Amino acid sequence: MTKRVLIASLTAIAATMCMTGSSFADAASEGLARATENIAKYKAKPEFVAPGDPFDAKACAAGKKMLSIPNSSGNPFLKGIIDRMKVAGAEVGLEVREWENQGQPSQWVQGVELATREKYDIIDLISGIDPGTIEPQLKAAKEAGVKVMTSHFYDPSFEQNPVVSSSLTIGFGEVGTILADWAAVATDGKANIALIVSNEVPPTIPLVANFKEQLAKNCPDCTITQEINVGVTEWGTKIQTAVQSAVQANPEINVVIPIYDSMSQFVIPALRLTGKTGEIKVGTFNGTPFVLDYIAQGLADMNIGESLDWIAYATVDGHLRDACGLESPTALNVPFYIFDKDNIAEAGTPAQFDTGYGDAYKSGFRKLWGIE
Amino acid sequence: MTDTVKSTSPTKPSVNYARQFERVALLLVWALTIVLFSFLIPNNFLNWGNFSIMFASYAPAALLALAIIIPLTAGDYDLSVGATLTLSASTIGVLNVWQQMPIGWVLVIVLLMGLGVGLFHSLFIIYFRVPSLVVTLGSTSLMSGIVQWITNSSTIGGIDNSLIMAAVGYRLFGIPYAFYYALGAALIMWYIFDFMPLGRRLLFVGRGREVARLNGISVNKVRVGALCMSAVLASAAGILYAGVLGSADPYSGLNYLLPAFAAAFLGATTIQPGRFNPWGTIVAVYFLATGITGLSMLGIPLWVTNVFNGGALILAVTISQITRGREASDIG
Repeated sequence: MTKRVLIASLTAIAATMCMTGSSFADAASEGLARATENIAKYKAKPEFVAPGDPFDAKACAAGKKMLSIPNSSGNPFLKGIIDRMKVAGAEVGLEVREWENQGQPSQWVQGVELATREKYDIIDLISGIDPGTIEPQLKAAKEAGVKVMTSHFYDPSFEQNPVVSSSLTIGFGEVGTILADWAAVATDGKANIALIVSNEVPPTIPLVANFKEQLAKNCPDCTITQEINVGVTEWGTKIQTAVQSAVQANPEINVVIPIYDSMSQFVIPALRLTGKTGEIKVGTFNGTPFVLDYIAQGLADMNIGESLDWIAYATVDGHLRDACGLESPTALNVPFYIFDKDNIAEAGTPAQFDTGYGDAYKSGFRKLWGIE
Repeated sequence: MTDTVKSTSPTKPSVNYARQFERVALLLVWALTIVLFSFLIPNNFLNWGNFSIMFASYAPAALLALAIIIPLTAGDYDLSVGATLTLSASTIGVLNVWQQMPIGWVLVIVLLMGLGVGLFHSLFIIYFRVPSLVVTLGSTSLMSGIVQWITNSSTIGGIDNSLIMAAVGYRLFGIPYAFYYALGAALIMWYIFDFMPLGRRLLFVGRGREVARLNGISVNKVRVGALCMSAVLASAAGILYAGVLGSADPYSGLNYLLPAFAAAFLGATTIQPGRFNPWGTIVAVYFLATGITGLSMLGIPLWVTNVFNGGALILAVTISQITRGREASDIG
């Protein structure tokens, strides 16, 4: 009797374990399928989706001028956007001027004061200037009739500063989900990740939170082996040695994710020195040309990019709508596009900021603006 | 009579054991650090691969610290070494990648450019008698601007593979060549500092310019030479930096200035305490590197490495000063 009970108990335990194991395997394979599906979405050529109703952009822009203040004019990504905004604005008669600066808040203040004094219609804070940093000056500008707008700065989850009239947000959280799903797919659901972050940069928070959430959801066997937080000013002196140490101390690491792609220039030499090039996969975000070239050279594996020109057109469109009292979109709506070894040739040789994304948006915006 | 004999007989100088210990104290602390991390990270810390990677990746920083101690010995500050490193690496990117110039010629141009930077500093420091701190601070800003202009503020990837191979590709005893370049520079500097009249003159100029001048030393020539050698070595560090990274970016090299100074001052507490010396500098660079590597391998947040660097520097220099009865030294 006792023997029979024992056998029955053991059988029940074994069956439970098998069921648990198989349901765990099911969860893993289902998660991987969802991740694969999500990644496929971003590998398809981006399509233009109208951010609002058509409007007479030329009539709206007549006599209007916008001062664009980038976080720093030394940043080629931001400078590239503003240069293209000048071209896009000129198509409808909007005067776009850049406030050249070297990333110092005192210089941003000067720009805001100039816009107030010279009666600009729009102040556009591009990517990185937190309106809270220069709030008194922005309040004065608002009271003088200048509309303050931001672009490519807030994540949709952020609360907009009250002084800001409208914001064209960018989905940093969405980037986090793409990176997580890519890590899962690239390792067949068994990613051991070294995640490199810069916590002092505001977009890092939603990006990393979504990365972790998505990883937990779609990849139960994936782990973040080490999270390395390096301040922006210390990227050059710390990332390389930290990555070397991480992969030496944790030989199971098979993916490195520097969340901003300019970090990669210090990750690649770390992998080269440790003899892990090609063995450890590297996925990142921003679409900076020299990092896209790394993919072509087989040194990195994936980069999520955005077209600068598309951002420029979307910014001009969104800000004009707000300036003319129309309903303004809440997001930039510029799609993310994955570059990997399959399509990296489309980015050009050497890679360019705007190549590979198609140009459907140009005629799309022109039709919306009534100029085509 | 007996008393007279006693007083004139040669007395054996007493051995200052504290000073003898001070010479090797940092080496011992380094060894203890290695032992500590070997216990804390039993499988992965104490292996040749880990150390060979550390030796190579800190080679540009070592070369930069060596560059600093030449003018420091002669009593001048060169705050521009980080900017010179960046200018050198960026010029390699611009000429080699964008202008497609053969890498051999590019390296010659970069070293000559370093010489030019040294002569530029000398003109203002020696001829116009502007303090070295002011001139090299100004030239840092000047060179940073030029770098942003020539690179369009972008990172340049795709530097000639032969430079990458010469820095981190080829290995001797498992250690990439980059380390041996820094070691070679230290060896040459040690010979000059310790065995050539030039080294002695450099030291005398640093300890007292007027006394050196009255003793027939051409103080200005020595200072010009020190400033030029510092800039050329900083350029060489830029070459090594570009080789280790395989790319050139317009900003990151500037951040090597403070760690290099920290290593130079820490190095002056060992081997030849109280004096900037090349072997001490090398020991200091790799002692700090060992601490940073061990802490990183333990997964400790990276801000702790800043605390480790700063704490080690202040503690070592203070202990060194106490050991020598707070006497004047090259340091500060």
